[in-house]
Amino acid sequence: MNKFMPWGALTLLSCLFLAVFLLLPIFKVILASLQNADGALTLEGFKIFFLEGDYLQGLFNSLLLATAVTFVTVLIGVPLAYVTVYYEFPFKSLLSILPITVIIIPELITTQSWLLVFGYNGFVTQMLLSLGIKAPRFYGWTGLIFVMAITYYVHVYMASLAALRSFDIQLEEAAQSLGRSPISARIRTMVPLLAPAILSSALVVFTLVLGNFSIAIILGPGVPLLSVMTYNSFLSEMGLNPTMQSALATISIIVVGLILFIQKRFVGKSRFEMRQGRSMKAVPIRKAGGVAAYLAVLFLLAVTLLPLGLVLVGSITDATGPVMHWGHFTLKHFVKVADYGLGIIFNSISYAFSATVLGVLFGTTASYLIIKKKNALTEALDFMAMLPLAIFGTVLGIALSQTFNAGLLPLTGTPIIMVLALTFRRLPFAVRNASANLFNIPDSIEEAAISLGTSPLKSFRKVVAPLMAPGITSAAVLMWAMTMAELASTLLLYHPSQETLPIKIYNLIDSDLMAQASAYGVVMIVLILTPIFLVTKFTKVELFK
Amino acid sequence: MIDRLSLDIEDGSFFVLLGASGCGKTTLLRTIAGFIKPFSGNLYFDDRDLTHVPAHLRNIGFVFQDHALFPNLTVHDNIAYGLKVRKFNEKSIKTDVRDIATKVGLGNLLDRFPAELSGGQQQRVALARALVVKPSVLLMDEPLSSLDCKLRIEMRSLIAEIQREIGTTTVLVTHDQEEALELATDVAVIKKGAIEQLGSPRDVYAKPQTAFVADFIGSANILDVESMRLTPENRICCDLSCGQAIHIDNDQDIMMIGGTKLVVRPEDILVATCPDPSVKQLEGRVVQVRYHGRSMSYLVKIAEDQFLVVDDSLTKTCGEIAQGSRVYATLPASLRFVRS
Repeated sequence: MNKFMPWGALTLLSCLFLAVFLLLPIFKVILASLQNADGALTLEGFKIFFLEGDYLQGLFNSLLLATAVTFVTVLIGVPLAYVTVYYEFPFKSLLSILPITVIIIPELITTQSWLLVFGYNGFVTQMLLSLGIKAPRFYGWTGLIFVMAITYYVHVYMASLAALRSFDIQLEEAAQSLGRSPISARIRTMVPLLAPAILSSALVVFTLVLGNFSIAIILGPGVPLLSVMTYNSFLSEMGLNPTMQSALATISIIVVGLILFIQKRFVGKSRFEMRQGRSMKAVPIRKAGGVAAYLAVLFLLAVTLLPLGLVLVGSITDATGPVMHWGHFTLKHFVKVADYGLGIIFNSISYAFSATVLGVLFGTTASYLIIKKKNALTEALDFMAMLPLAIFGTVLGIALSQTFNAGLLPLTGTPIIMVLALTFRRLPFAVRNASANLFNIPDSIEEAAISLGTSPLKSFRKVVAPLMAPGITSAAVLMWAMTMAELASTLLLYHPSQETLPIKIYNLIDSDLMAQASAYGVVMIVLILTPIFLVTKFTKVELFK
Repeated sequence: MIDRLSLDIEDGSFFVLLGASGCGKTTLLRTIAGFIKPFSGNLYFDDRDLTHVPAHLRNIGFVFQDHALFPNLTVHDNIAYGLKVRKFNEKSIKTDVRDIATKVGLGNLLDRFPAELSGGQQQRVALARALVVKPSVLLMDEPLSSLDCKLRIEMRSLIAEIQREIGTTTVLVTHDQEEALELATDVAVIKKGAIEQLGSPRDVYAKPQTAFVADFIGSANILDVESMRLTPENRICCDLSCGQAIHIDNDQDIMMIGGTKLVVRPEDILVATCPDPSVKQLEGRVVQVRYHGRSMSYLVKIAEDQFLVVDDSLTKTCGEIAQGSRVYATLPASLRFVRS
């Protein structure tokens, strides 16, 4: 490419930015795990991890939980996808909102809403109690697996659906023509072709569970988990020797890194690709089996969407302290939000807005450089932009807090570090969304503009940017929704004056003030939904592809 | 939709179903394969009634339009698929696969995956996979349509050669008339789910029975005859809708054909710039001259909105006729009537 163009300098600048604010902190955490208070080399942290306390148990629990949840999500997601593709049924289009739910119902809300049902003061718990039955404890493994499975099965569903839709039904006929019976032909051709997609989405779920913080910390007080232990070690070691927190952070980085390596090495590298042939045609439901499948689908849909309604009900249910008076309604929780919560709402809006602007600007530039202006540095840029996928929210928080609490750039305690944490945490999504339709923009369009006398920068602004606009818009909306709901990385970083909605909600849940938490939850959902609503209403941008 | 269609395909023949897209030829093929169950009617292989036998028990070989190779299996495993289902032993599978692969020219590609093959190579795998099980009938659904022109011609001769060698009864579906004429021992031209004409390639080309067949196979000028009478020399004088008349031989049973259209192949017409008073010619003006290298073609306007396409192989006449020239076209005396 032309060396007079500014792309090289821009790439260098982007790389520097990520190197200083993302790579360096992570590197420092890893380094700190190998140092004692005096800076001497030590393996003390890792020794403690493997020999003392329940650290090892925590890692084991995390892996066990991830395995269990992954298993359940596959069990739900794959059959659901199959039913979606195989059957034609009433209200089928409702299923297309499933991918949206991941964004509009943050896991914090899901957790809290199921606590409204099964928690200590949940209405099912209370109802059973009034009948003299003591409900089984929801906190612990049951709740963790249930809520996480409900939250994450959509990932498996989406991946299986895409794979099933691209499945060429002719392969089945080919197998039949070569002598396989119809059922055997379907299984023998479909399973090996869907397996990579299912496996890689299962691995995504696995890492999401490992890194999950909000559900884990609320529902798992009795179950030591890696991400929560990392957070706790940070709290107990604030200002002291950071060896243990660094060691825990490093171990989680290694575990996730290992999984991503497995994914890239074995799952992502399958040597075949599906050709677009004839895809399966949905048939109307006949027989009892079809009806049962349909009912299961509707039930699942209801369970997935229920949190929205539950939180709304919880927010207008009267409560005295932690005790909920089910059936008695009030608006007092919202009055309280208006009296005391405006600062929190303002914080949330300003941080999420700043992170969205920063993330989208950076994500757009980065994705453009990575896809269209490849040079020696773009590979590194791509790696760094995707790095946050492998870093737990808590680890990112620890890394930023440790690196910038003193020295040249004392940022810890300032809003800037909150915004940086939010931005980096969701940067991979911004880059991916912005690049989504960049792949479809041929290089020749830009060259055409240049050949007609437009300068390179101007042709980017006038030609490529407008074509990227839909991708950028959806990146912005998603970034907004996700940063608005982010808890893990900010909970470690916030100064009391910097409370955000998720932090407030978490603190209220922690004090068992579920009704008040629900009121904040409703406010958060409204804030998340507003831009989504506006964009879908007034533009033609497809947000959730 | 196919309604009331009866077809007898001879053992060892290469039968081609030719028709435009959507005419039902693929449906017919898939019915033979057993992927579609007919609402009524029967299907026999030799004397065996296969109407209710599911596809996987029919012992067919099917070559799909876009190959439908198993993307997760190597070339070897793709070809071996049917043999493994039939529980052949490892050793005979190996030799069978190697033999057929050599025959179709895939000998050194057995370890590749389909995604690593070119379109032509994928086609060869599909063919080998279908043939290796020694099917009682080989069914091919537009097997060459996804290949580019040169490759298509190459694969065409490979298919013809292998079919002759193995002698498997073959049914091929195509919309490419050139392919049909080259490969077939018998052609059925299909239109809207019914057979328009059935015969050898030479028959359907030289003696089309309907205007559709004439136009679909090769190109044809169709002339509307408004009235006719016998001339003193016992020839038929046809008054055409263009206002001119021609004389043709009285050697066909016009009543039985039941048509009032005449078919003239462009290559059968002779054009000249000066009239020949000894024959009844069509007079017109050249409105377009197209140069094809080996040949020329002229578009001759014989009346308002009526044109004649004439192919001229340069050797036939002396030199090129300029656009705008007045020309006289001699049509062969043995023109045939067709139904519309």
